[in-house]
Amino acid sequence: MKLTQQVLDLDWEEVKTKITRFIRDYVEKTKAKGVVLGLSGGIDSSTAAALSAIALGGDKVLGLMLPEKETYNPTDISHAKLVAEKFGIKTETIDITPTLEALRKSIPIYDPEDKLCKGNLKARTRMLYLYYYANKLNLIVCGSSDKSEVMIGYFTKWGDVAADISPLMDLYKTQVRKLARHIGIPEEIIEKPPSPRLWPNQTAEEELGLKYEVLDLILYGLEHFMKVEQIAEQLSLPKDLVEKVKKRWKSMEHKRRMPLTTKLQYRTIGFDFRLPVA
Amino acid sequence: MKQKFKVALAQISCKRGDKEANIQKIEEYTARARQQNAELVIFPELSLTGYTIRDELYDLAEHVPGPSTTAIEKIAKKHEAFIVYGLPELSDKAQATIYNTAVLVGPQGFVGKYRKMYLPTHSVFEEKRYFRPGYQTGVFNTKLGKIGLIICYDIFFPEVSRLTRLEGAQLIICISASPAVRRGFFETLTAARAIENTAFLAYVNLVGIENGLQFWGGSRLLGPNGRVLAAAKYDEEDLVIGEVDYSDIAPIEAFVPTLRDLRPELFDKLKENVENF
Repeated sequence: MKLTQQVLDLDWEEVKTKITRFIRDYVEKTKAKGVVLGLSGGIDSSTAAALSAIALGGDKVLGLMLPEKETYNPTDISHAKLVAEKFGIKTETIDITPTLEALRKSIPIYDPEDKLCKGNLKARTRMLYLYYYANKLNLIVCGSSDKSEVMIGYFTKWGDVAADISPLMDLYKTQVRKLARHIGIPEEIIEKPPSPRLWPNQTAEEELGLKYEVLDLILYGLEHFMKVEQIAEQLSLPKDLVEKVKKRWKSMEHKRRMPLTTKLQYRTIGFDFRLPVA
Repeated sequence: MKQKFKVALAQISCKRGDKEANIQKIEEYTARARQQNAELVIFPELSLTGYTIRDELYDLAEHVPGPSTTAIEKIAKKHEAFIVYGLPELSDKAQATIYNTAVLVGPQGFVGKYRKMYLPTHSVFEEKRYFRPGYQTGVFNTKLGKIGLIICYDIFFPEVSRLTRLEGAQLIICISASPAVRRGFFETLTAARAIENTAFLAYVNLVGIENGLQFWGGSRLLGPNGRVLAAAKYDEEDLVIGEVDYSDIAPIEAFVPTLRDLRPELFDKLKENVENF
């Protein structure tokens, strides 16, 4: 297999059809009234929201904009609004700063210097809002995690990844960009550097030390059982770098699963209790 | 025996785990097919229960003949049609041994059953975890000629169709539950099995979404030269009718005489090599 950008090409109209069919089918089967999702103004949530609107009609999609003081960015807000307007999505804006401040005050061991713990608190707080709305209004929480992030565990456990369905989770980030372009997400959203906005000036590619164009090909190679040496050679990358990505992918499995338990009885959750969903 | 008759490809989605709803749909589609003069109506693999039922199989599996087969026999009698459908079959001799089975019933009642030989257990498939493989081909003598049954992944193994053909089947029915990314394989293999066996081949696939898997439909009837005689839509429920005319086989058999040219000694070699692969 030759690892070039072409391997990531899919028939985007077909992908759009499959994803919208999936969203519609799940909402129908669960008898929900629609979906709620966090609308950050970033590419993933914009794409997930737009696909939900194409699937269900914008009136059945609620986008929650949940800014907070530290990472507040008016461009993000205007991007979120742009997508909402274009696809007829209902929105609500809630400033989560007071909630975060209250949480920080109430945690005895709270450490303002620990930016990762602090950042994760933001992602998990947003999850609380999404699930409250879902619960109250009989909506499905639609996640917007992509395959690149989920494979390398670049997300907050029980935070941004928490959802009932994740329609983009089998698409790498660079594939989400192509799909976004196909369905008419404004170019400025597609082009801006991705960021989880857990702290000011955080950008994903800087933090990961890799461009998504490269990372996605490494992950694609790993997905297809390619050896580290093969991937490194084909992409002209140091073997150590590919090895590092592989280790990270494998070590993050705990973030992608229900909590591990130890088997004690006949059928066990997460092992051999095997039931279908929807 | 009829030389010529109409076949209906009943490409349905199933309500997972709800036999009653699925039997009702089987009846509806059979009635519609009969209105179009089809004498044989074919439903997808595990159409009684849906495909992705996992541990629920133990609740849903039943004997063949058994209650659901009786219900579908009644439909066949009422509408004077032959019907092929799929279900998880509980062994008569054990209590939790299950087969992935295709059943043929007709206006006179139960005709026969075929237990899937090749159980996919890779990628998203976990059939060997649940099913015991079958060991017999399914070729049945009916007034519509000799009909052979195979199921989905069996089509990747030419020997299943070959044996079915050599036992006399001139129409091979492949019921299937194939998810989206495998469409290209099936479109090629259905044509290949028809051509190499100079037989009619009816492929009927599931549609709908189960547990995140999207089944692509695309059911088709192929002639003995591999030509598509009837084709259902992709991804949506559909009912299409095609005609089988056994007299079309002779000219193809003479033109590309694959059956005449079969070399039995290769099968011994094949066996030897498979055992030591």
